[in-house]
Amino acid sequence: MHNSKRGLYSTSLFIFTLIFFYTPLLVLTFFSFNASKTMVWQGFSWQWYQQLFLDSPNLWDAFSKSLIIAISSATVSTIIGTLGAIGLYWYSIKFKKTINLIAFLPLLLPEIILGVSLLIFFAGIGLKLGLFTIFLAHTTFNIPYVFLIIMSRLDEFDNSIIEAAHDLGAKELDVLFKIILPMCFPAIMAGFLISVTLSLEDFVITFFVAGPGATTLPLYIYSMIRFGVSPIINCLSVILIVGSILLAISTVKFYKYLFQK
Amino acid sequence: MKTKAILMLLLVVTIFIGCSSDKKDTLYIYNWTYYIPDSIVKDFEHQYNVKVVYDVFSSNEEMFAKLKAGGKGYDVVFPSGDFVKIMIKEKMLASLDKSKLPNIKYLDKNVLAKISYDPGNLYSLPYMIGTAGIAVNKEKVANYEHSSNIFNRKDLQGKMTMLDDMREVLGLALKSLGYSVNTTDNQQLAQAQKVVQGWKQNILKFDAESFAKGFASGEFLVVQGYAENIFLEVDTPNRSHIEFFIPKEGSAMYIDNMVILKDSKNQDLAYAFINYIHEPQVYAKICDFLKLPAVNTESRKYIKEKPHYQLEDLKNCELKEDLGPDLEKYNKIWEEIRI
Amino acid sequence: MKKNYGYYYITPLALWLSLFFVIPLGIIFIFSFLEKGLYGGVNLHFSLAAYKALISPSLLKILWATLYMATASTFLIIMLALPTAYFIARSQHKNALLFLIIIPFWTNFLIRIYAWIAILGNNGFLNQFLLKLGLIHDYIQFLYNPLAVIIVITYTYLPFAILPLYSTIEKFDFSLLEAARDLGSSKFQSILLVLLPNIRSGIFSAVLFSFIPAFGAYAIPALVGGSSSFMLGNIIARELTVTRNWPLASAISTVLTLVTMLGVLVFMRQNSLSSRKQTKEPSTNNA
Repeated sequence: MHNSKRGLYSTSLFIFTLIFFYTPLLVLTFFSFNASKTMVWQGFSWQWYQQLFLDSPNLWDAFSKSLIIAISSATVSTIIGTLGAIGLYWYSIKFKKTINLIAFLPLLLPEIILGVSLLIFFAGIGLKLGLFTIFLAHTTFNIPYVFLIIMSRLDEFDNSIIEAAHDLGAKELDVLFKIILPMCFPAIMAGFLISVTLSLEDFVITFFVAGPGATTLPLYIYSMIRFGVSPIINCLSVILIVGSILLAISTVKFYKYLFQK
Repeated sequence: MKTKAILMLLLVVTIFIGCSSDKKDTLYIYNWTYYIPDSIVKDFEHQYNVKVVYDVFSSNEEMFAKLKAGGKGYDVVFPSGDFVKIMIKEKMLASLDKSKLPNIKYLDKNVLAKISYDPGNLYSLPYMIGTAGIAVNKEKVANYEHSSNIFNRKDLQGKMTMLDDMREVLGLALKSLGYSVNTTDNQQLAQAQKVVQGWKQNILKFDAESFAKGFASGEFLVVQGYAENIFLEVDTPNRSHIEFFIPKEGSAMYIDNMVILKDSKNQDLAYAFINYIHEPQVYAKICDFLKLPAVNTESRKYIKEKPHYQLEDLKNCELKEDLGPDLEKYNKIWEEIRI
Repeated sequence: MKKNYGYYYITPLALWLSLFFVIPLGIIFIFSFLEKGLYGGVNLHFSLAAYKALISPSLLKILWATLYMATASTFLIIMLALPTAYFIARSQHKNALLFLIIIPFWTNFLIRIYAWIAILGNNGFLNQFLLKLGLIHDYIQFLYNPLAVIIVITYTYLPFAILPLYSTIEKFDFSLLEAARDLGSSKFQSILLVLLPNIRSGIFSAVLFSFIPAFGAYAIPALVGGSSSFMLGNIIARELTVTRNWPLASAISTVLTLVTMLGVLVFMRQNSLSSRKQTKEPSTNNA
């Protein structure tokens, strides 16, 4: 790989960004052990963790619903967005410009407007509101992110490789799986990660398209706003972060192991 | 790839379908957060052998926008009085069959007499009554009157917040001038606007969401807000440092209600739930939890905790009403204040 | 003649978006030309009232303030995102670093904002730290002003700019930079003249992913802004819920969408012109 030196500038700004990103997490970790529910330190306590594990079935329920939606909508939108971008970039297609434009318009529409109009639409066609409508909405707003990331990755790509492959008689699926997708992999990964993040975060659109009982984590947390968000949420965040980091490390290790073999 | 995608989709679909199947009768409630203690809902589930799905909203406006755009599936909703009136006009509510609500006899006649949004309670039963007041950090603020003029104090500049709610803030200003919180008189409104613009110089922000956190941590010293909201955020030992008062000039008051939606599929269960809430001993538990004054006279025998304020304290307060098209006047003024 | 597989690729995208996006967008477009219902919703009467209401000084003022905030945060975001993405792209642990960047954002948004309030508050960590060091004598009001809004917006949308930049920088041929250095250009020059033009579309995506959400932000100004902290997002949300003027909310959104669309169209046209100059024309590839 590239082993040339990375500049002092980019290294220091990278470290700055990491500090910028992780300082709030340190703060909420700190408060997750606070004996008080306010943001003033009153002494060490495990009480919020105890409550999280022993007495928060609704919270876990909301959390698992959020996870299901995040992973399913990110997967579907990554597949649709990636294929769409490849198709639009690689082939001559009627209405290319129009499709290109529509593919990232959902990004431009204010989220509350998208939420309300989707609700009007779902109610109009008589679709029962629930987790499924949330999944549909999340996939819709995730698609443009994936699409644009893949598009910008494909841009300036050297077409001659693909042409050569076609000329040599490679099958369409071979070209897709052996050349295009591996070439797009970093962008697919980036698009998937953005989609998971957006889906885990979204409150406004979810609020409108959720049906009775389909409470995702953000809905659950926002509903606490009027009476104070409980520190239990801090604990859940800490566990989520630590878990994700461990998972990421183990996946990286696993890949390394595979490649060494 | 394709088979994988299809498998994934199938998996997703089964999960979604799996979530919605349940054999027990289910009651869908749409309410403010923490407005009913969990234990009450659980007791109801046990007694009636049903399942309760309890969804929450954080403002009347949000709840109404969602129902108006086609949000369906709820049985019992808890709107404030002005929204009860709107929902009646919009024909969203089922009219109540009082024979199914015997506990109606316990409701305080004085409170019922005040109800102008649904005279005779044809569509709604009151749940709680209350008002936004002012909370003061007594450790750091001395010599204050129980009045909204506290927001004029220059020495507290940058340490006070007011609700981000035009009816509450303008209502407070109108009351301080001796006018009705529902006035549509342009001159009175213009005067109220001046008062609020004066307050705006001294307050740090209009906030309906996180002010209680800031107040509890000592960052804000005077806040306008709801008592149950503020006290839930403060640790019990520190509550003695706080005084919550209702301004002597009065303020805008609310009554939150229980209503049954017209398209409710489980009306019998909805009636059972509403009636259950007004069982005196059940209602007493709710009051002890929220520390709000009881509208159920019989329940007062069972209440153990002292509420943040009494019904008598609300004597100068006035119920917010739906203003119809005149709401536009308030909007205009509020936007001028906020921009 | 080879078969054109393009339609297989784009059918899911086209179907999905026409169903779940074009139809809702059409609803909004139609709503913007209808009369407002007294309690939300619309009456089925043609009306231009919503568009007339758009031309109000207060709305223009908010538009200006919002543009300013969004532009300032986007500038900060790109300034931080470029070197960060560059660093990751040149690292040997790309995937690990990528996860490290995105994981903080899997926690709830509101919780992170509260953490910022705890950091920047008057008796927050930053003020206490500065007071202890003796750098200041009284607390500094970091929160509840436009700067706080810009900082928190930058924090919130920075990862969405890093990711697309990373995925374009990653395929950049770094030997070009060295060649430029060999030819005598400074490091800064070589980045400006060689790297940036080559990752143009990544920058475009990054700007879109940060500017547009920043432009539509409304929870952030409500939570950390001051007493005059309205942004356009707050107005749209207000028109839908509090003031119940759905046609006006629809009209604002329609105009916003059209204006941004035009801007993007102009950009795309220029982009395709300049790439045509480079004798690359992928679109005719399989025709």
